[in-house]
Amino acid sequence: MHTHASTALGHASAQRAPRTGTPHAATGRFRQVKTALTVFLLGLYYIVPWVRWTRGGESSQAVMFDASAQRFYFFGLEFWPHDLPLLLGLLIFSAAALFFVTSLFGRVWCGFACPQTVWTDLFFAIDRRVDRMLGRDHPLGQWAKTGVHVVVAIFTGFTFAGFFTNIVELGPQFISGQASIVAYVTVGVLTFTTYTLAAHARENVCLHMCPWPRFQAALLDPESLVVTYQNWRGEPRARARVPLRPEIATLDSSAYIMPRVATASVAGSSAATTYRGDCIDCGKCVSSCPTRIDIREGLQLGCIGCGLCIDACNTVMERIGRPHGLINMAPELSSVGGCAGKSGRIRLFRAKPMFFASIMMVTGSAMAWALATRSDVNAAVEHQRQPPFVKLSDGSIRNDYTLRFSRLGVHDSNVEIRVEGLDGAAIRLSNSAQASFTQGARRSFSDRVMVTVPKGSVPKVRVPIAFVITDRETRAPVARLETYFWGPGGVR
Amino acid sequence: MASERRYDPVTGQYTTGHQWDGIEELSTPLPRWWVISLVVCFIIAIIYAFLYPAWPTTKTYYTGLLGWTSHSELAEYQTEARAGQAHWREQIAANTVGDIAASDDLRTFAVAGGKALFNENCAGCHGIGAGGQQGQFPSLIDDDWLWGGTLDDIYQTVTHGIRNTDESSRQSEMPSFKDMMSEEEIAATAKFVLAMSDTSVSAETRNAMPGAELYTNNCAGCHGAEGEGMRMMGVPALADQIWLYGETEEAIRNQIVRPKMGSMPAWGGRLGDDAVKMLSVYVHSLGGGEK
Repeated sequence: MHTHASTALGHASAQRAPRTGTPHAATGRFRQVKTALTVFLLGLYYIVPWVRWTRGGESSQAVMFDASAQRFYFFGLEFWPHDLPLLLGLLIFSAAALFFVTSLFGRVWCGFACPQTVWTDLFFAIDRRVDRMLGRDHPLGQWAKTGVHVVVAIFTGFTFAGFFTNIVELGPQFISGQASIVAYVTVGVLTFTTYTLAAHARENVCLHMCPWPRFQAALLDPESLVVTYQNWRGEPRARARVPLRPEIATLDSSAYIMPRVATASVAGSSAATTYRGDCIDCGKCVSSCPTRIDIREGLQLGCIGCGLCIDACNTVMERIGRPHGLINMAPELSSVGGCAGKSGRIRLFRAKPMFFASIMMVTGSAMAWALATRSDVNAAVEHQRQPPFVKLSDGSIRNDYTLRFSRLGVHDSNVEIRVEGLDGAAIRLSNSAQASFTQGARRSFSDRVMVTVPKGSVPKVRVPIAFVITDRETRAPVARLETYFWGPGGVR
Repeated sequence: MASERRYDPVTGQYTTGHQWDGIEELSTPLPRWWVISLVVCFIIAIIYAFLYPAWPTTKTYYTGLLGWTSHSELAEYQTEARAGQAHWREQIAANTVGDIAASDDLRTFAVAGGKALFNENCAGCHGIGAGGQQGQFPSLIDDDWLWGGTLDDIYQTVTHGIRNTDESSRQSEMPSFKDMMSEEEIAATAKFVLAMSDTSVSAETRNAMPGAELYTNNCAGCHGAEGEGMRMMGVPALADQIWLYGETEEAIRNQIVRPKMGSMPAWGGRLGDDAVKMLSVYVHSLGGGEK
């Protein structure tokens, strides 16, 4: 194997201060994707609360978690607390999707979509813009940066609060001091965390706070695409004026697998110290890294897979007239000339990704099915057990039940209750002689329901019955609730 | 031993300057933020000890500059809760029980409040579900009422109670017939009374019974010719299927000889008028309420 050429930068990287501030900007394909995704995700976050949706004839917010009413609105959908299993399904699906993507492409979530990455990237962009405008050593530079950081953080906190309350009203209320204490606390906390995490903690969150990097190794397999420094091509590192190793001089671009001929020569070139590999040790890969790691040391916990070092290195390779791909997205083994698959190609259908894909399929289809067949009615009936039955003066027997009924949607429900499975039973609500009621939209109805059976037809013991709720306008059945009617004999 | 502090390039730290046989000690102080947090915690703890009750004294305790107690906090929460209900309580106070029951919102509030009050004050005798207790306390959820089942009747009964020292309390008394009737006569009367509620016994058969005349002479004055009872006086109906003190002949005989009569405290003075209104609406909603 090669020995590392001793260079000035080798020491420099070991002596790097704990925080380097803003990394150097890189340009290239990964940077473009990252910028596009950052703009898209931030746009989604900041714009979505402002989207309006007509609900029940009045304009309201398209996406809102109404904590006080315990409702979640998502455009045309409305969720109640009893829909919580759907959230569980969504979380399992999301986790499986995250594992799936990780097993194929490494930590693209960390590098491109994680809120910490997205906001940090935004704050990096602010820092660079301020540096460009004022010059790097301007005495007011840090003040300007902090000022913009704080404004963005406040706006972020405000937007977050806007997901939980009417954001259009929140603005004026917030400024005039009319907003609720909860709103101020929410905005305050989110402003604080955004500012602290994106302006100060930055990569330290990924390196020291986040649990996700710790078990990503378990999700990767030998064919996962990860950011890889092609050791066989880059070593030994030296200044550009040192002549290139002859066996790699004819590489074509895009080859991430060591050519057979190269393998042979590397193995026998122990005295190659007078030659250099493709790496000219310019340090651009390190200085552009948002987590300030040296990717040339191999795959490591600190790498978030953003690919900015690839962009930085490709730019340099272009400048010195060498093919791209000294650092690229490739299976880890390729770095030392190994190849992952039997044919040297990366298979898509591999055990790990397919396992996670199957979990996605199962939870995804289960959720879709649950959402499609979701009942818009939430009704429950509970038999009163104290006492289980009441004897009336004419000898008839009455059972009392508590009925709870709520229905999604924007219209009042006019419904009627019938009893099935009990001869001669009369049913009524506590405050009327009838068994029909109107449940106001967005309210839940609860009342005592009384079922009376005349003396002659009273069942001796407990018998199963059912409440059938029908819509009085459409005559359509709305719900069927099974329960028991207790005769004087009790349970047999 | 001591030498110059120097920068150690391997760890990126400075040394303390201490050196033993060439082994140097690195200076790795606690992070500044950590030390500051610790100091701030101490300062907060000291301030806290002055503001809040923190120190016992020989007989009592230091009450703190803020005068905080868990009781005062509870009182604060209660005041807050009452303020939140004020709108409803005002309306409860301003309206009659009939008006409260007629308004959907007020009724919902009264039933909820009444339920809590009932479980706290009434359930001890009448049971959690107001089902009563056979032989002692009447059920409040059936349609048989001793003193009447309209809202106003219930309100009156709850406010002033039954057979107690309250001036407006419901009062009545059933005499003992022990010395007025012979044992045979009592037994015959009990048989007749039992037959009154037996729907399988025809009127002719019943009127031919020896107890018929005894009942007309001794009982019908209060319990009614057909055993319909008299609510003005809290006289129970005898022709229905509900027997608070038992539906056997022996139980009825006992009742003729040694009449049991329930009593109930007056709740108006104890709970206040608003609470009694809510209680009345709640009891009325349990299934037996009459218009």
